[in-house]
Amino acid sequence: MISFLRIIRFSFQDIIRNIWLSLITISILILALISVNVLLVLNLVSETTMGAIEDKIDINLYLTQDAKEDEILALKAKITNLPNVASVGYISRDEALVSFRSKYKDNVEILQALRELGKNPLSPSLTIKPEDASNYKGLIAHLTNLDEDIVEYKNFDDHEAVLNKIDAISKRVNKVGLYVSLVFIAISILMVFNSIRMAIYTHRYEIGIMRLVGASRWFIRAPYLVSAVTYSLIGVLIVIVAFFPFLTLLHPYLQAFFVGYEINIFTYFTENFAIFFGLQFIGAALISGLASLIAVAKYSRV
Amino acid sequence: MIKFINATKKYGRKVVALDNLNLHIRPGEFVSVVGRSGTGKTTLVKALIGEECLDKGQVMVGGWDITRVRQSEVHILRKQIGVIFQDFKLLPNKTLYENVAFAMEVCGKKSSKIRDIVPQLLKIVGLQNKVNRYPHEVSGGEKQRAGIARSLVHQPKILLADEPTGNLDSINADEIIELLLKINKFGTTVVLVTHNREIVNRLRKRVVTIENGTVAHDQVVGKYVL
Repeated sequence: MISFLRIIRFSFQDIIRNIWLSLITISILILALISVNVLLVLNLVSETTMGAIEDKIDINLYLTQDAKEDEILALKAKITNLPNVASVGYISRDEALVSFRSKYKDNVEILQALRELGKNPLSPSLTIKPEDASNYKGLIAHLTNLDEDIVEYKNFDDHEAVLNKIDAISKRVNKVGLYVSLVFIAISILMVFNSIRMAIYTHRYEIGIMRLVGASRWFIRAPYLVSAVTYSLIGVLIVIVAFFPFLTLLHPYLQAFFVGYEINIFTYFTENFAIFFGLQFIGAALISGLASLIAVAKYSRV
Repeated sequence: MIKFINATKKYGRKVVALDNLNLHIRPGEFVSVVGRSGTGKTTLVKALIGEECLDKGQVMVGGWDITRVRQSEVHILRKQIGVIFQDFKLLPNKTLYENVAFAMEVCGKKSSKIRDIVPQLLKIVGLQNKVNRYPHEVSGGEKQRAGIARSLVHQPKILLADEPTGNLDSINADEIIELLLKINKFGTTVVLVTHNREIVNRLRKRVVTIENGTVAHDQVVGKYVL
């Protein structure tokens, strides 16, 4: 008990007596933790972006002009029950015409041609949204195998090309994100590791004397471990205090950018608060603790 | 008390620091170890405090074979051997009292015991009026006295003095040697590693001369013969 309290006292004395060095070490920890949190923000933004792109993916199934309403609704129900189908929308001939007119309202020639035809030339269609954009191939196979007379057009080659491209982009974004994360984490680890080692380097003389006068290895290491944990705790607390106002500022910009899509950076961090910041504290404490153990071992030979 | 049996230590292939050295120091002895630079005196000191391991042979301290002492056991050894150095090895940001108390604090001694023992030790070495001075505020001799007080906190059976007068003028050096003799009178074995011819000749104690890593002369009442 005496030793434990003394270890805590030694550690706190060390932090306060070397306040500038302590502040530098904490600052480097904060920088490393900020880079990890920025990475988390970027991860959410990239996920939302990919979600938004994938949300745009749908497959249109064009039906014959004379297809009856009940046949179309039966087909719609059948497709809804297929695997990997999120929703099926039905666009009737009239709705298609209204949409067409609205789309080309400024193109006089097209509207004139439509009037000259004297009838609605458009077909009814079903708009199918896949549940998982990366697994669209199975859905296309199901749609190709549909044996329905009212289906007018069953060639999905164009869709496949576009979907392949989106899938490739999605995979590339994930891969780049992973590499960037790894580089950031490696830089953070190196920064923290070296700053702790530098802090202990300044104590090499004291460590040597502790060893000389008969302090046990555990007693020599423990105050530096306690300091490492204290630096990590202070670092994480400062990052929490600084990061949430930043998120509050960032939130409206992200919402404006992703209008129509659900993105709430503030909720993302509050819902995962314990995991995100708990892991950051554990990670920082482990890295700085390990660095201090290595450095103390090096300087405790007298 | 201390036994070196066929102690051999090499650094690389060519540098032989200790070469089949045999030495036996009995309890309560005052032994001066002399020799030119590079003859193995420092290696002998390092082997005694568990900082260096021998390549061959044995080192025994009080019946304990410390030849292959584990890092986790070094602190037990260092409580049995008090060490003082030429450069005093005091912490500059602590007072003399704090420097001595530090040695007890890091070994988990009770605060009440520290408050009890440290002033006594500082009185023994004649620093009772300078307990609150920092090392830079006292003379070399006083620094070495504080080093001696610190080395005695665990009541060691052996006091190892590695060139304790190397940085001191003759008056301070004499005072330190007087102190070592006083400590020896109380029963502590003192091993004095030195270059100082005058001191060794005046002591009229056992002198072990080391040459080329081995004991060249061992005189019961000896002189500096190099």
